Amino acid sequence: MKNRSAKVFSRSGVTVLAGMISLLAGCATTSGERDPSDPWEGFNRGSFEFNRGLDKAIVRPIAKAYHYVTPDLLEQGIENIVTNLSYPVTIVNLLLQGKFEDFGEALGRFVLNSTFGVAGLFDPATIEGIPRHDEDFGQTFAVWGWKDSPFLMLPFLGPSTLRDGIGLVPEFYTDGVSIASSEFDRYEPLVADLLTLRVNLFDLDDDLNEAADPYLLVRDAYMQSREFDIEDGETELPDYDDFLDEEEE
Amino acid sequence: MNIVQKVGCLAIGLMAGLSAYAQPVDFTAEPLELVTQVSNSLFDDINQNRAIYQQNPTGLENVVREIFIPLLDKNRSARLILGRHGRGLEGEKVDAFAEALLNQLVGRYSEGLLEFDSRDQVEVLPLAGKNTERQTRVRTRIELSNGEKAPVDYILRKTDDGWKAFDVIIEGISYVATYRTQFGEEITRDGFDQVLERLQSGSIALE
Repeated sequence: MKNRSAKVFSRSGVTVLAGMISLLAGCATTSGERDPSDPWEGFNRGSFEFNRGLDKAIVRPIAKAYHYVTPDLLEQGIENIVTNLSYPVTIVNLLLQGKFEDFGEALGRFVLNSTFGVAGLFDPATIEGIPRHDEDFGQTFAVWGWKDSPFLMLPFLGPSTLRDGIGLVPEFYTDGVSIASSEFDRYEPLVADLLTLRVNLFDLDDDLNEAADPYLLVRDAYMQSREFDIEDGETELPDYDDFLDEEEE
Repeated sequence: MNIVQKVGCLAIGLMAGLSAYAQPVDFTAEPLELVTQVSNSLFDDINQNRAIYQQNPTGLENVVREIFIPLLDKNRSARLILGRHGRGLEGEKVDAFAEALLNQLVGRYSEGLLEFDSRDQVEVLPLAGKNTERQTRVRTRIELSNGEKAPVDYILRKTDDGWKAFDVIIEGISYVATYRTQFGEEITRDGFDQVLERLQSGSIALE
């Protein structure tokens, strides 16, 4: 559930997003029990249903077919290529967050995989033990001080927050996958990236379908997972005592 | 494996490793040592008996079940998951919920353990951050088949019977916190008794 959805962007997508965010700012809903981190739950649930419908009808079947016909090794190679193409996003954001040592490491990984790894097809960096960092603009904004941001289920793009959604705009200009489609009219990386992203989520399909409330599962997992990414794994534990002592609502 | 599967099989893995089937584990050990011993013991056991377990998943399940239940602070997990819904419930009902939840986890995720080939796939990191006399977070890294390392943290609490785990945090996602939201929603909708009944009959989704 990483925020890798940016590659779906076209320039027009950025415009639509900007328009939607300004629209949302004015339409916080107010009925029922609200989670303070999800003031737009009404909109988000609608958007979630739309995404699931789209997924069931189109995206998942295509990804299933792709996964079925593609040999495992080739599929891994394709995943390596798109991961490497997107890696500049991490490199830039490590720099923006002032993590200079990690920045050097990430740059090294990118150069190594792009050259000896044959344009990212192989992943010699992992074999060499170079860790793969994971940063994006949403995380950078959080590190800069924008910690809490309302949950936002983006149509087509999936779970996000207002902060992470805005982060997709600069990401569009940093990600090799989106640059390939916008600057060079090469859409293969974009398609490969989408398929890879979806294939990696197959394991979650059953969990989602069986969940008491699939929307809440996605929101919960996304928010926890982002917190973890932002803090680079140093997240605070849940407040267990509060779990036991909470007052009747 | 997805997150939930990982939570399930690693939670089980932690406990299953305390089995007498491989090297014995010192139950009174401090958290770091305990997790290390458990993990080594578990993966050695799986390596020895892999063929048997592949043929007979129930065998694996039984082994896991037999040693799993007494070693997990399942009631604390259950109380945390139930939150305000657990208050005012008779103790037996909470016990029943804890038991049913655990049975589901064991039944569903034991097989995931067979995916691990070697004890070296688990690395237990030195203690860091805020740990107290009563609660400790043990951080581990599990190496997945594609070479990536997934962070898995165990939250242990000191009880009268030694340290016991009550939560597992996989890539930042807490098992207790996530189930809490899901069960909270179901209990609000259908009431505790009905949810318990469904869980016991095996027809409830855990996620």
